[in-house]
Amino acid sequence: MNFLIANLPLLDLVLIGTGYAFSQYVVLRSGTFSVATPAFAALGAYFTAIMAVKVGIHPLVCIALATLVGLLSGLLLSIPLARLRGVYQAIASMAFVEIVLSLNLFADSLTGGPLGFNGIPRYVSTWGLFIAVVALTVILIRMSRSGIGRVFDAMRQDVSVAASLGVNPTRYHALAFGLSGAIAGLFGSLDALRNYSLTPEQFGFNALVACLSYVVLGGRRSVWGPLVGAVILVTLPEIARPLADYRMAVYGLLLAATIVYMPYGVVDSLIAWNQRRRAQQADTSLGGGTA
Amino acid sequence: MFAQQVLNGLVMGGVYALFALGFTLIFGIHRIMNLSHGAVMMVGAFMALYAVRFGLPFWAAMLLAMAAGGLLSVVVEFFAFRPLRSLSIADAEFGSMISSIGMGLFIMSIAQRLSRTEVMRFPFGTVPVESVEVFGLRVTSIQLLILGCAILLVGVLAAYLYRTPNGRQIRAVAGNQRTAQLLGVNPDFIFFQTFFLSGALAGAAGVLVGLAFNSIHYMMGEPYLLRGFVAIVLGGMGSVPGALAGGLVLGLMQSMSAAYLPALITDAIIFALLFVILLIRPAGLFGTTPPEGVTRRI
Repeated sequence: MNFLIANLPLLDLVLIGTGYAFSQYVVLRSGTFSVATPAFAALGAYFTAIMAVKVGIHPLVCIALATLVGLLSGLLLSIPLARLRGVYQAIASMAFVEIVLSLNLFADSLTGGPLGFNGIPRYVSTWGLFIAVVALTVILIRMSRSGIGRVFDAMRQDVSVAASLGVNPTRYHALAFGLSGAIAGLFGSLDALRNYSLTPEQFGFNALVACLSYVVLGGRRSVWGPLVGAVILVTLPEIARPLADYRMAVYGLLLAATIVYMPYGVVDSLIAWNQRRRAQQADTSLGGGTA
Repeated sequence: MFAQQVLNGLVMGGVYALFALGFTLIFGIHRIMNLSHGAVMMVGAFMALYAVRFGLPFWAAMLLAMAAGGLLSVVVEFFAFRPLRSLSIADAEFGSMISSIGMGLFIMSIAQRLSRTEVMRFPFGTVPVESVEVFGLRVTSIQLLILGCAILLVGVLAAYLYRTPNGRQIRAVAGNQRTAQLLGVNPDFIFFQTFFLSGALAGAAGVLVGLAFNSIHYMMGEPYLLRGFVAIVLGGMGSVPGALAGGLVLGLMQSMSAAYLPALITDAIIFALLFVILLIRPAGLFGTTPPEGVTRRI
């Protein structure tokens, strides 16, 4: 228990990281290569900060509204992005992150600009974050086992095949973007109400790489993938202190090594390995193993 | 005032063009998005800085920087892209972006260690700073050097691609890799050449950026990565003349925006432009047929 209390701030970071990872995961699972999560998170976080401090709205309402802002911006972004594919989608979404970043720097009367937004009330506890992550995990697992999960998997493997099976890719891309935006908006808002202050760079290129790394390392099919990825990548530099100085190098090497040697991530590779083993066992018990 | 901004824009555009040319070369020929290109550019600048500090003349430092950029780019290809060649197109596309982001981060992290996160600069007098008046415009020697280098290097690249047997092989691979292979072109040698050329151009761009802004640091390549992309989208993906034109247009736009609009809004305008071009004119400003695979057909 003492260990837990001593590491509460770290636990907070893991939970927030998991939320962002889920947001990134939803789009990647649907076969959309968007990396706009930090931009949605920035919109949610700054919206919350401005509403809570400058307008004086109750934090709970702010959280709900920020989720809605994330949802709407996700749906809006899906209109141009769903028309692009592959690398073009990735680059356009990177550009979106840069646009939000530079607008945050530009509108300094509203956002505090480069100095950051300070004096946000602390409202969210570790328990609050924990409940949000658990609830989100449950929702995503339910969705994953429903038709939506299967449609996403089909679209990721081949959009043309999915379309020929009667799936409307545009609609499901919009769903993935909206969901991703809502999740990022929610956790951006929670992040703002936990951290006292916000800076624009917090939602820049490094955040983008971090979100991507969580999902690539963990896996982009199973819901547990982003969770495992976030837990490993957030805690690793904290547990192995010397690694903290090399955080960027660790992320970089892990990204490159994972995609080359374990392209489907830790969790999905383990699941596939387990399924193969079971299939083999079933095979031998039926006497078909020798054939 | 306006003419001066045009000149500044052309100089900036020359650097963008050099950077974008290397980027578009890899994309046009291998359909690979090399997101470590910014890190390669930064390594070029570092190499030149160390060479100048060591006492070498500037031209030798420039050549060393280009060699370092080229070799590093070849190394990136070997570790980040070669293992992915056997995958399906969609997996390779996703994978090569991820692995090149990873390699870029790793390279930047080493540079951060080497430079102790400091912003470094070329020693005073590396390039004699003088300015001349031409038709009422103030032109510095550094600006002339940048323009000269950019024109020379673009010329060399064009000559290599369009006037040598190796260049013909590269263009054959860009057209159709399988056919080129059937005709006896060695793909590994092509990959080596294109990545070396691309890295060398990035290295040169890094040195020129370091000179122009008098600041060299481990993150200097990152903004150029996205802007380089804007340049090649403006000019049409994978087209060598397009990257040149796109770089110049981007440079002009940036200097105009910096001169007449609030300072911090420039990036937002440039990246919003990227969106608009991708959606309305995927073939670029000057192209007629959009490259395959920009937009979904379903």
